[in-house]
Amino acid sequence: MSTFGGIRHSPSTFASSPASTTLFRRLVWEGTVPLEIRVDSKELPANSNRGLECYFIQAPRVSYLPLLIPEIKRFLQDVVFDDEAARLMKEEDWWFESEDGHLLKWHWPVGLIYDNHTTLATSRPAAPAASARAQAVPLRLVLHLASPPTDRLLLAPSAEACKQAFMGQLKEADFLRWGNTKRMTGLRKAEQDGMWEGIKEHNFDDYWRVASKVTPTTLPARPGSPPAAQSSMHARPPSADPQGAPDREGAYNVRSVPIRLYLPEGPVLQDLAPPVLEDGTPNTLADLLSLHLPLLFPAPGPGAGPTLAYALLQGVITPPDAELAWLGACMSGADGWVNICVGLGRDQ
Amino acid sequence: MALTPDAIPHLSPPLTSSDSAADAGLAEGLAALESYKKKDPAKVVVRFKAVGNAPIMKQNFFRVTVSNRFQAVIQFLRKELGWKAGEPLFTYINLAFSPAPDDTIANLYRSFATDGHLIVNYSTTAAWG
Repeated sequence: MSTFGGIRHSPSTFASSPASTTLFRRLVWEGTVPLEIRVDSKELPANSNRGLECYFIQAPRVSYLPLLIPEIKRFLQDVVFDDEAARLMKEEDWWFESEDGHLLKWHWPVGLIYDNHTTLATSRPAAPAASARAQAVPLRLVLHLASPPTDRLLLAPSAEACKQAFMGQLKEADFLRWGNTKRMTGLRKAEQDGMWEGIKEHNFDDYWRVASKVTPTTLPARPGSPPAAQSSMHARPPSADPQGAPDREGAYNVRSVPIRLYLPEGPVLQDLAPPVLEDGTPNTLADLLSLHLPLLFPAPGPGAGPTLAYALLQGVITPPDAELAWLGACMSGADGWVNICVGLGRDQ
Repeated sequence: MALTPDAIPHLSPPLTSSDSAADAGLAEGLAALESYKKKDPAKVVVRFKAVGNAPIMKQNFFRVTVSNRFQAVIQFLRKELGWKAGEPLFTYINLAFSPAPDDTIANLYRSFATDGHLIVNYSTTAAWG
């Protein structure tokens, strides 16, 4: 955690630099997680090459399970199945479970599935050290080849349904930030499709060429200045204040940061999370956690109990004084959301 | 100063006490998780509004338990409309977006309620997809 000391102590210097914004967006984009995918042995077709039914992928955090299927399918076709079984394979019936039988959602980003698995291990008293080990080992997935439980998957297991859900998340994030979805609906169809293609091809430039039109910028909110001073600055004509115009798209001027808190076995919490508190100070992760999960993150003060949990975002244990506005602009997933998984333990 | 056996406890506190402190923290954490898992019995008003050619509902205000998922609301709406399996029905919040089916009414209400109602629009064709 000491590596992130720079962010913890001076978030505003990071927030003010466009180069660091791009850096963090790229770090999030390039983040990958190790997956071990094993076909359910009961469902392997006859004449399969047993012993080879396991496949390892270093999958991008911003990707989705349906987008990994073509690669897995090629492997099964080429190495594991015989020609007859390969011909009969129907990937629209495929679905995934974790090793311990948790159904894996098609519409969750791979990084979120991985982080949620990591924090889930911290709530299993039988394996107190699992949180540390879980970082180093692949997440084991069981691939089922038939009978998808559509009622529990909630979506048809297809890349198209996943794309629609992804677009829905982008629009929901847009609505939370600005109270409307004009930025998303203002994109041409080709641009919207381009964002999804960017994820499919894992191309940072293709994705961000469009995403930068809907994601807030990180010009600083002049920390410490009261909201009144900010609004009077906005009232000035743009010509008098060249910095004023881009500020309207700024991370500190959104209504709410799209943010969700994932507890190990649920629930998922979502609420309005304004970037600036009523007293004019930036809303921080610590503020958010002590507001919604006071039993795990007691608000500081006389007689306050110890912090019992930590926040994991994009695989990084996130400093409590990280500002929500900055997290929203720099650490959100490709779907526009800041997905924070809460794990038990202190000073992880 | 020579390192005497007596000095060792000062350098590293006895394992048993730090272990039991960690255990107490874990137990407290697990208890907190259990209490956050409890389902909120509160209810809020969901208001259905037809879009385009979709049939209008006579009664379109419903009180819904907030721990329900949006998926349950979609299923309820399909039943009310007498929709058969496979017949397309698209649902939106505030004429703007389709939420994830596993999102709860509690979350959607907190974030998107208008005048004390969560407005769910429904359409037979994709409108803002």
